[in-house]
Amino acid sequence: MALRITDVSKTYQMGVEEVHALQEVSITIEDNEYVAIMGPSGSGKSTMMNVLGCLDTPTSGEYHLAGEDVSKMNDDQLAEIRNQKIGFVFQTFNLIPRASVFHNVELPLVYGGVAPAQRADMTNAAIGKVALEDRKTHKPSELSGGQRQRVAIARALVNNPAIILADEPTGNLDSVTGEEIMAIFDGLHKAGNTIILVTHEKDVAEHASRIIRLKDGRVESDLVTQRPESRFGEVLA
Amino acid sequence: MKAWYDTAESLKIALAAIKANKSRGVLTTLGIVIGILAVVTTMTAANGLGNTFRENISTLGSDVLYVSRRPWVVTGNFFQFRNRKNLELKESKLLERRLRRAVAINPSSNANRSVKYRSNVMEGTTIIGTTDKHMLMTASTPELGRFITSFDVRFKKRVCVIGSEVKAKLFGNADAINKRMKIGRDSYRVIGVMEQQGSAGFFGGPNFDRQVFTPITSFTKSFGHRNRGFNIAVKAPPEVSLADFEYEVIGEMRKIRKLRPAQDDDFSINQMNQLVSAYNNVMGVIVLIGLVITGISLFVGGIGVMNIMFVSVTERTREIGIRKAIGAKRRAILSQFLFESSTICLIGGVVGLVLAFGVTGLISKFLMPASISLPIVAVAIFVSILTGVVSGLIPAFKASKLNPIDALRYE
Repeated sequence: MALRITDVSKTYQMGVEEVHALQEVSITIEDNEYVAIMGPSGSGKSTMMNVLGCLDTPTSGEYHLAGEDVSKMNDDQLAEIRNQKIGFVFQTFNLIPRASVFHNVELPLVYGGVAPAQRADMTNAAIGKVALEDRKTHKPSELSGGQRQRVAIARALVNNPAIILADEPTGNLDSVTGEEIMAIFDGLHKAGNTIILVTHEKDVAEHASRIIRLKDGRVESDLVTQRPESRFGEVLA
Repeated sequence: MKAWYDTAESLKIALAAIKANKSRGVLTTLGIVIGILAVVTTMTAANGLGNTFRENISTLGSDVLYVSRRPWVVTGNFFQFRNRKNLELKESKLLERRLRRAVAINPSSNANRSVKYRSNVMEGTTIIGTTDKHMLMTASTPELGRFITSFDVRFKKRVCVIGSEVKAKLFGNADAINKRMKIGRDSYRVIGVMEQQGSAGFFGGPNFDRQVFTPITSFTKSFGHRNRGFNIAVKAPPEVSLADFEYEVIGEMRKIRKLRPAQDDDFSINQMNQLVSAYNNVMGVIVLIGLVITGISLFVGGIGVMNIMFVSVTERTREIGIRKAIGAKRRAILSQFLFESSTICLIGGVVGLVLAFGVTGLISKFLMPASISLPIVAVAIFVSILTGVVSGLIPAFKASKLNPIDALRYE
């Protein structure tokens, strides 16, 4: 089991009004699952992503990630969990502009306290997985959108996280590049990673083998879909 | 070891950030440069003044007690000393007879007279009547010729030993020895020129280079004996502490003056230390004021750094969000910005120090001997880093407290 959330609620105070972004949501995601979380805006999708990504703690309920109860942790403990167990891929890439590709990918290992020699090996391995070996010394501004997202994926992979959490990973890319990126996720899933996509695009969600739809802070549907095996081969070809 | 990696990362980011904003960094650093320059120069100048003063005052001798009518440093009511009797020459002789332990006892008196050689005149020169024992009291010696001897004193010789400034004013580069000069209306033969002492004049102290020494006997003959006050210098024996010896001198003086036990002393015992402590009191206040004023300029520089650090934090809100999302702890973010602010200030401090070395060079060339000591360098470096840490603390704390979700959304 990769993660389990039990009766998780998240309430925000907006002025005098209370906003119930999540209401008693319970989900279990197993290892090596490929899950898409969908929903219209205001459905609680972003809040879900923040809670699953340990960027935010739930108001009530429990969250176990890779065997640890993270729902009551403080800021620094959450930072460590994010560092060790979660790989983020964002819609806007969120790379550090002044740092090289290599350093961007290496950064989680730096904060994780990995020794420099081992760090270089792991970083090179992750860059290899997204086929950017010849761009290592480039700055993000010298790369195309697709390449930037591949750097972000390499950064997410670099410390072998329990889950890879992708928030609209193709949202800023054209459809062809988007498919390329999705092909990388498919490959990662095949290689045994647990992937959670947060998206509102049906095309993207179809890559997943399970689609969870949210509406008004609750789970509207939770369906296991058959992912066409052939698709993966098509894109690579 | 683990913590070291993100500390190294923080340092790297800080340096990169400074490099990326060079002109901004230079302007920000300028405030610190000026602040450190001002503070260091103040401390250096204070040190220079202190050294000059101590050097000059050493002429008085640290183991010599001066019996005078008034204390050198008057605190409180000045008028209480006005009705005191002058010390007389015979009292010096009585004291000499009673104080067998003293190494030497030397009476002296002084007057202000114009001195003249041909057409060169020096107004208001201090003429000191003294004896050969003067040489035992002070560290200064004649550079040329000789000092007054007991023979000169005994036979009321019209001879004089002149200070270096008097020599320069009256004789220029010419040889002064054996020339006859006028002191007041009387003619005196120059037998010696004292070595240069430097001036304690900035402190209102005597200028030792503008003095003329004459035998005390010819002095009283030339300038009168009546109503003239004398000072008696008493050199303490090395085996007795100065404080103990002072009681002895006070006791004997009271006997000479026939004071009853209930009566206050009608004379004062002075010594070099009183001038030193008076100097330290006055200079302490002056230096403190100087440091406060220059400290304000450093403070203003620090505010500039703080301001820029707030800008830096705001500019990099999104970057902070990214770093936090991928696992940077609060300490890592905090140290990143503290390194940046303290590096800016350290650079400013070092540049300020380099400039201060230049200014000190100018001071010692044109004003007084001054130098930057190692402790001052250490203090300047420490203060500049401290300024960086203090002015970076609030912005860095703000950065470290940023919520990663909000920071990531920041445009």
